[in-house]
Amino acid sequence: MRYSYIKPRKKSIFTSEIKLVVAFFAMSIFMLISTYIFILIKNSQFEQDKINILNAKYNIEKNIESMKAKITYIEKQNSLSQKIFTKNSVLKDSIKNLFDLVPQRITLSKAKLLENGLVLYGITPNKDIYNFMLHAPLRSIFHRTYSSFYPTTDGWLRFVSTNYMDNEIDKIVQEERDDE
Amino acid sequence: MSKITRQSIFILIISIFLFIFVLIFSFSSLIPEGKEYRKEKTNLLIQKKDLQRYQNFESQTYDTLKKLQSDNRHIITAFDKEFSPKRFIKKYKSSFNSLEVTKVKELDSEENFSVYDVKTSSQISTPTVFYKFLDEINKSDWIIAINFPIEFERNGEVLNSSFKMKIYSNSKDSNNSELVKK
Repeated sequence: MRYSYIKPRKKSIFTSEIKLVVAFFAMSIFMLISTYIFILIKNSQFEQDKINILNAKYNIEKNIESMKAKITYIEKQNSLSQKIFTKNSVLKDSIKNLFDLVPQRITLSKAKLLENGLVLYGITPNKDIYNFMLHAPLRSIFHRTYSSFYPTTDGWLRFVSTNYMDNEIDKIVQEERDDE
Repeated sequence: MSKITRQSIFILIISIFLFIFVLIFSFSSLIPEGKEYRKEKTNLLIQKKDLQRYQNFESQTYDTLKKLQSDNRHIITAFDKEFSPKRFIKKYKSSFNSLEVTKVKELDSEENFSVYDVKTSSQISTPTVFYKFLDEINKSDWIIAINFPIEFERNGEVLNSSFKMKIYSNSKDSNNSELVKK
């Protein structure tokens, strides 16, 4: 005897409710694993970024060191050249002062500028003019001044004036000798 | 008494399984990695700030270098330039009646710069010419220091002058001792 006109369905454990729950659970697991993978990828990216930053910092440090070395060298060049330019300018002034020092009545034939001295060769009408007009200013500049004269055929005097500057140690030794 | 269906048991089992999985997975992997992520992110931010600081300093140093280079262009090129007696004579012969340059020798390096000793003899009409030459020497193509002894000797209407020059250079000069006349 049949109670129903339809055929009985095959009963399965995967009902629509279970399918829904499984889908929900699968989604949750998928999201968890996705988050984990995302974090892993990010961490790996951070690691790579860190390496890149370290490399960039190393290159920058090297570049800065190289630039600093260049700056130091240029500063050194600048300092040395300024020293040289000043020395040249001082030298020019010294030569100018020397020629200005010589009075018109005395004629120089030769001038020799040394590191710490000056040798002048020239002609003077007489000793007095030389002593007052050239010897006196030279004595005020130099520590030691020696002069020698030779008469010329026209009655003038040929002179050689040798002047030296002592460095500070020599000066002290000289003063001690003078005291003795 | 209600009967527990197979379906309910199944849902309970997979719920328990999911719960255990989530707990184990979270505590063993997700949370440590998350902490690591947060730490790395903070570190990276610090590193990025540090890098920015480095970049700023590099930029400042570069600006300083460029400014120094542009301000001292003449000096830098002068130190780089190899001394050529021929070029020196060509440049300054107009100031003198005659000019001779003898390259004497290479001196010991001074403050890490190569130094050459050059003897120069010339004829000038007045000392003013020499003053002008001394003014010009500071603007020359080389770094030249006029050195003692300097001699002036009257020879009729002209002055014979001789002096030593020190040429300062970065590079080794390949020229050998030579005499060049105007």
